[in-house]
Amino acid sequence: MLPMTDVTLAAGERLIALVNAAQAPLLAQPYFSGGDPGPIVAALAHVPEMLEVTLPFIGAVLGPSALDPRIKEVVILRTSARASCRFCVESHTLVALDSGLSVSEVRALRGELDVDEAFPAEEDRAVIAWCDALVGTGSVAPACRDRLRQGRPDHVVVELTLLAATTLLLNRFCTALELPTSPEVLARLAAAGMTS
Amino acid sequence: MSTAIAEAVRDGRLPGRVWLYSNYHCNLVCTYCLTDSSPKSPRRDLAADRMVDLAAQARDLGFTDLGVTGGEPFLRPDMVDVLLAMADQLPTVVLSNATLFHGERLKRVEELAGHPVVIQVSLDYANASDNDAQRGEDNHATVVAAISQLVERGIRVRIGTTLDPDVEVSDDEQARLCDLHRSLGVADEDHVVRPVVRRGRAEVSDMGVKATAADLPPELTVTADGAWWSPFGPTIRDGIPETDLLITRTTDPLITPAAALLRLIDGRLPGDDARLGIR
Repeated sequence: MLPMTDVTLAAGERLIALVNAAQAPLLAQPYFSGGDPGPIVAALAHVPEMLEVTLPFIGAVLGPSALDPRIKEVVILRTSARASCRFCVESHTLVALDSGLSVSEVRALRGELDVDEAFPAEEDRAVIAWCDALVGTGSVAPACRDRLRQGRPDHVVVELTLLAATTLLLNRFCTALELPTSPEVLARLAAAGMTS
Repeated sequence: MSTAIAEAVRDGRLPGRVWLYSNYHCNLVCTYCLTDSSPKSPRRDLAADRMVDLAAQARDLGFTDLGVTGGEPFLRPDMVDVLLAMADQLPTVVLSNATLFHGERLKRVEELAGHPVVIQVSLDYANASDNDAQRGEDNHATVVAAISQLVERGIRVRIGTTLDPDVEVSDDEQARLCDLHRSLGVADEDHVVRPVVRRGRAEVSDMGVKATAADLPPELTVTADGAWWSPFGPTIRDGIPETDLLITRTTDPLITPAAALLRLIDGRLPGDDARLGIR
């Protein structure tokens, strides 16, 4: 398991309060109309003009796109684990399992198993190495770059990189603001034996 | 965008007045205060130069009037200078409890005479006991004297009456209040009556009518904490500004909240203009 900040604060000790539906600002109210929108929205709602541009951006980058959903979850979960973001790892462990990744693949992405054993295909391992390099200093060794380039058109390289960079943005946001994982997610993780 | 705002104001879809909360502290502690103001309240001041700059931006965007409220604006020593500078941009109304207009402060306030500045004074009942029960001891006598002083000095005064909708006010009492304001030189068109709105301290005191955005005119309102749907929006509960009527935290440039307000009154969600992908 990759190291993660242990944030177990009571509600009153949190850095920020999460906006609830009754106090949702006018521009944020559509995001609350379907029920609890989750802590990222509830945090961003403090600055509604940022929420309404950030959420569509995150949705476009992390949501359905030209990339295969499976490889997108590989990028999101690996980047989050390398960035030690407990909230994103816990949330995306379930998303990754739901999107078809195996338990051993998820465990490898989380740093609990060997990546080379869990991912026999070089094309997967090249993407994982790219995420590891991006979370590090951001500069990528030529060999790592060449592995990613192998057989991939520029638009795929750009989108993989944008996805990893956007995930890293969310990792920093969620970790710094100590966003809490929902009880439902924690219960599902426990049931799957995947508690971090 | 400034054209769109000017058109909306001209068409009556958007009220022409922009409100600025100059500060939140007050020398009074009224029972129904939306902003939970008191002498101990955090000030949440808007800086003088910021208020004047926002006034100029409001004019450039096509708004037609300005309002200043609080707290008690005249607790700020710079308020007369701020109002004079704002009134150089657009006609301005300032809401006041009128309990501070004596001595040197009254002399300063005299400078507003002849400028497009109206002072809207709070006076709730013709009889002192009911008025003072809501607004504090000796408030009635102090305010009536102040109105006379202001009118004598050539300053236009409006009277704002705020009534608890759960308390029946007789026709006689209402008539006596109108007789009083006329006797003080305040015309009928300068007397406004409104219900207590159930927000801030009024909600804690279990007073007033519940109001949502649908019940309130969309009058762009700027405070130190952001921009709001209405001057009834930036209320304080448990020491924290309520955010259900917040538009944006960004207030400068003023076009940011003004454009968002225009979008809200048009009932469109962000992205509704992007169906064809043309930006």
